[in-house]
Amino acid sequence: MALAQNIGKAGAARAHRHEFVAKMILRSAAGFVIVAIAALIAYLASEGTKLFTHDHVSPLTFLFSPNFNPDAGAPGSLVFIVGSLAITLFAIVVGGPFGIAVGIFMSELAPRRVVDAMKPAIEVLVGIPSIVYGWLGLTLLVPFIRNATGSNGFGLLAAGIVLSVMILPTIITLSEDALRVQPIALREGSLALGATRWQTIWRVLLPAAASGLSVAVILGIARAIGETMAVQLVIGNAGVLPKGLLSATAALPTEIVMDMSGAQQGSLLEHALFSMALLLLLIAMALILAVRIALRKRT
Amino acid sequence: MVETPVLEVVKVDVRDLNVFYGAFQAIKNANLSVADRKVTALIGPSGCGKSTFIRALNRMHDMTAGTRVTGTVSLDGLNIYDSSMDPVVVRHRIGMVFQRPNPFPKSIFENVVYGLKIHGERNRSVLLELAERSLRQAALWDEVKDRLFKSALELSGGQQQRLCIARVLAVNPEVILMDEPASALDPIATSKIEDLIDELARDYTVIIVTHSMQQAARISDLTAFFLLGELIEVGTTSEIFTRPRDKRTEDYITGRYG
Amino acid sequence: MGDVTITRARGARTAADRVRLRRFVDRLATSLLWSSAIAVLLILAFFVGYIFYLGAGTLSWQFLVSPPSEVTAGGGIGPEIYNSFYILVLTLFFTVPVATAAGIYLEEYAEPGLFRTIVQFSAESLATVPSIVMGLFGLLIFVYLLGWKFSAIGGALTLTLLNLPALMRVTQEAIAGVPATYREASMALGATKWQTIVRAVLPSAIGPLTTGIVLIAGRIFGETAALIYTAGVSVSAGKAAYDLNPFRSAETLAVHVWYTHAESVVPDVARIGNGSALVLLLMVLIFNVTARLLGRFLTIRFTGKA
Repeated sequence: MALAQNIGKAGAARAHRHEFVAKMILRSAAGFVIVAIAALIAYLASEGTKLFTHDHVSPLTFLFSPNFNPDAGAPGSLVFIVGSLAITLFAIVVGGPFGIAVGIFMSELAPRRVVDAMKPAIEVLVGIPSIVYGWLGLTLLVPFIRNATGSNGFGLLAAGIVLSVMILPTIITLSEDALRVQPIALREGSLALGATRWQTIWRVLLPAAASGLSVAVILGIARAIGETMAVQLVIGNAGVLPKGLLSATAALPTEIVMDMSGAQQGSLLEHALFSMALLLLLIAMALILAVRIALRKRT
Repeated sequence: MVETPVLEVVKVDVRDLNVFYGAFQAIKNANLSVADRKVTALIGPSGCGKSTFIRALNRMHDMTAGTRVTGTVSLDGLNIYDSSMDPVVVRHRIGMVFQRPNPFPKSIFENVVYGLKIHGERNRSVLLELAERSLRQAALWDEVKDRLFKSALELSGGQQQRLCIARVLAVNPEVILMDEPASALDPIATSKIEDLIDELARDYTVIIVTHSMQQAARISDLTAFFLLGELIEVGTTSEIFTRPRDKRTEDYITGRYG
Repeated sequence: MGDVTITRARGARTAADRVRLRRFVDRLATSLLWSSAIAVLLILAFFVGYIFYLGAGTLSWQFLVSPPSEVTAGGGIGPEIYNSFYILVLTLFFTVPVATAAGIYLEEYAEPGLFRTIVQFSAESLATVPSIVMGLFGLLIFVYLLGWKFSAIGGALTLTLLNLPALMRVTQEAIAGVPATYREASMALGATKWQTIVRAVLPSAIGPLTTGIVLIAGRIFGETAALIYTAGVSVSAGKAAYDLNPFRSAETLAVHVWYTHAESVVPDVARIGNGSALVLLLMVLIFNVTARLLGRFLTIRFTGKA
């Protein structure tokens, strides 16, 4: 049919034109992503270094001085850095093994139906907004700690517990994935030598999945260190170095969110807060690098 | 240099075809003249390159990164690999049916007219007419005429493959490439496909890859034997099967290796 | 048995003892692992239950539609709920086209090379930026630089940046899930790449894509830190709180919870917080369920089965 042939030629030309335009538009969208992160880094770096360039504060002072009194010219953020590190450490130490255990359970022990039942549950845990976690912490956890220990309930312990729960879904799903992809042959080989299931998990699977599990932990850390709302409601927001699990203190994100509203543009306080934001950004980028290194170790 | 028998009209002429997957050479210097409106079968043991060869005939390798094709494939005298040739138009004229039936998860109608729609045909009545024509040609019309708009995935394997053939026929190609079209089907469906190929050869040039020598013997006019990427011998089907010239061909025919 | 005596060093374990120990450890580990899984489910059940328990009494029609109060008790969350939806729609309006386009590009078009690597790295980096930091970036650009002050659109654009990577990943996974045979068949019929994507790939991918989008929508609905300093903590008065002006301050429900607790002076903080938390949780549950159902429905609708 000659007619069909002609339609083919004209249709092909039009299709090629569409293809060209479509490819350009798609490429620009991908390019936009690059522009976005570049702009973010640029602006945050610019604003975040004003503390050092305009106000002539030394980075060492910013990082290591516990004296945070911007009105008096002192932007030492050690309190917040220590607070962030402390609650993150707590969250990883508690939530890490817990999450990996559930990941092991879902990958190695649970029957299909249990796994299918748990997945939506974990999805809901992920979906609960952090402000709601914070609210629960405030109305449930803080009074509980107060009654149990006699302190006012706010502080590292409350924040650490809340964060542990919040990073659970991340660690669970990533460690489950890391284990699932291990070849069945690995398990069979171990069991055939007379090992129990736990021995197989402990001696063969976990080491084999080490890079994937590291990624799970690193991303858990990333989640914890950037978390603002849940922590802010339970940590106490006291600008003092924590003396123990029960002291009220503050973290980098919580300090930013609390004091930004009162910070005038161009003031020392505002610059200090942006430097804290820059610090958080740098930590986040460092964690991405850590993930890449962990993944590269996988042969 | 392989001698090809004297033919009436050459539809597709393959000269010095080489196909490389990266550093690995999958097809070595293949030369083949495909006769117009005849069925040419490509036989050979697994991994001998027949699928690679047939995919070079409609520029499917363009889509695989790292694949390189040299040589010429001429359709009516024009090299399809020439830079002035539009692969989209090439595939319009040279259609392909795959080993596993792969209908789109759409209705039967949408499957058949897919090729027409992408070439710009929008007229509903034209589409319906061409759909019926193609489905009749593929011997499927009677079985699906009452459920044209139901999902194609509800059809049996054999019906799906005939649907894929109808889909190719709808764009009115001149050459139909078939890569082991019946290998995933049961014997009854297979024989239906083979009857269909007989019919189609009246109007189209058919090139079919098959791992079954019996199938080649049943349906093809010409047979080409491949081994380890080389085209060893080509001839009329009866010659190849009764008086093969090359020892390797004879070994394969008699079942020495498969 | 002859007179062979077997001497055993004191404290050495026999093989049988070792096997018993291994079995014990195995059983112990199994029960611990099961317990951890049950613990997670219990935590979830407890959280959800407690939020319902706290908030159930506070939910009333009046609460859900009245405007908030600055100083007195009895404020509602009407405008905040509206803003949550408004900003959600606005955010999706920007995020969906850009993210799906970028995701399609990465999955279907991008050849391995510098550009592709940089795009992927950018997306990864964007994904790790903490939401408070993204909020500050939004503050710099939309509030300060562009002078919009607190605005719904500033918040929406900030959330767009925050959710781009997630939606890109959803798109890429949805597309990767489409069998290669569909692409092959389409290309063999003479389709261009774009035609193949639009007519063969996307219809099959629309189920998982929609599920992913609705789940992300749930996360957008609950976002707080990135909105406080971009969309603001106040709502307009009266009818103006429900208009479509994107350049006004737009406190969402999640932000309202924070604001009420952290800065406001009303005496019934607990009531507002409990009620809002319940509404937020209900919305998340609705989004999750809708995501699954809608995904399944669309998959059947667009592909007939699969």
